[in-house]
Amino acid sequence: MPSPEQVAEKLVVKMADHAVGDENTVLATLGLGSCVGVALYDKFSKVGGLVHIMLPKNPGGKKIVKYADTGIPYLVAEMEDIGAKKRNLFAKIVGGAAMFKSESGDSVMKIGSRNIEAVKETLKIEGIKILGSDVGKDYGRSMYFYIENGKVDVKSFSRDLITI
Amino acid sequence: MELEQGKRDILKEVANIGAGNAATAFSNMIDREIYMAVPKVELVEIQELPAITGNEEEYIACIMINFSGEISGKILLVVDMENVEKMLKLIFSTDDLPGKEMQHSALNELGNILSGAYLKAINDFTDLDLEQSVPAMAYDMAGAVLSSSVIDYSQTEDFILLLETEFTAGEEKLELFYFFIPEKDSLDFLFERLVGGNFA
Repeated sequence: MPSPEQVAEKLVVKMADHAVGDENTVLATLGLGSCVGVALYDKFSKVGGLVHIMLPKNPGGKKIVKYADTGIPYLVAEMEDIGAKKRNLFAKIVGGAAMFKSESGDSVMKIGSRNIEAVKETLKIEGIKILGSDVGKDYGRSMYFYIENGKVDVKSFSRDLITI
Repeated sequence: MELEQGKRDILKEVANIGAGNAATAFSNMIDREIYMAVPKVELVEIQELPAITGNEEEYIACIMINFSGEISGKILLVVDMENVEKMLKLIFSTDDLPGKEMQHSALNELGNILSGAYLKAINDFTDLDLEQSVPAMAYDMAGAVLSSSVIDYSQTEDFILLLETEFTAGEEKLELFYFFIPEKDSLDFLFERLVGGNFA
């Protein structure tokens, strides 16, 4: 019998993009730096969605999934279209690092922490609880969201894989 | 966002002049001959940026320098980890490398020198007054680093304009990617200066 991993279809979500899927899907996003990956999950309907957020607030840009405040509601609506219930959703969030440092060791560009803040704020407005997170610090991450069980694996360089 | 052929040619010329001077400075620094590929001018969709130097999960070093003045933007130097080690051995002229701190200093200095040479050539050519900031550095997955480097330019834009040059050094075949990324508002000023001046 094939293992679930062999059956599952893997979808890679690029920057400023999103995807939704059912229990046979793994949603992945690679190389999150200051961007934040937001995985939403309805464990009853086994519908999952992932959005790769680049920036906190949409100033009127056309690519609405690029921003936390417009991207998350958009993802919720897409998940509802394929059977998810908003009240069942919970979130797991990954990324929001400060990648660049000056020679003195100070972080430059604080966009990562602003992204985390905006994601948390938007989730609160949407009434979605955060069940797990691996955010901040100064290193890049890749995330793999297994819709079958709602688990998210986070991979980074020279660190052990963690599951949230 | 589109780029007409005429403007593209102007930017190619800017890249050629800047990169030529940077190649000379690089050659002096590591005492090797530098081969410089023909610079490319590319409008890249933001989503494609993480994989612009190859695999987005590859481990790279990136030195970022902001420049400002009459035009502003960023310069990125991107080297994969295998090449970083080769480069450090050339800079220090030994296989026995000093501690991490010294290595970081050396890479920052490389960033300073290459961006300084590039900007100086542009300055001479365009008569634009340009200043560079102190370098910032990141070591990590290419995707995480490259996406974060220009994130402040993607606020309203879905495309990034890159002037890309690839340098290869010595028989070691050391590879270094060099990106000159003018801020969008600076582009019009740059074209105006170059077309309005003796360039056209």
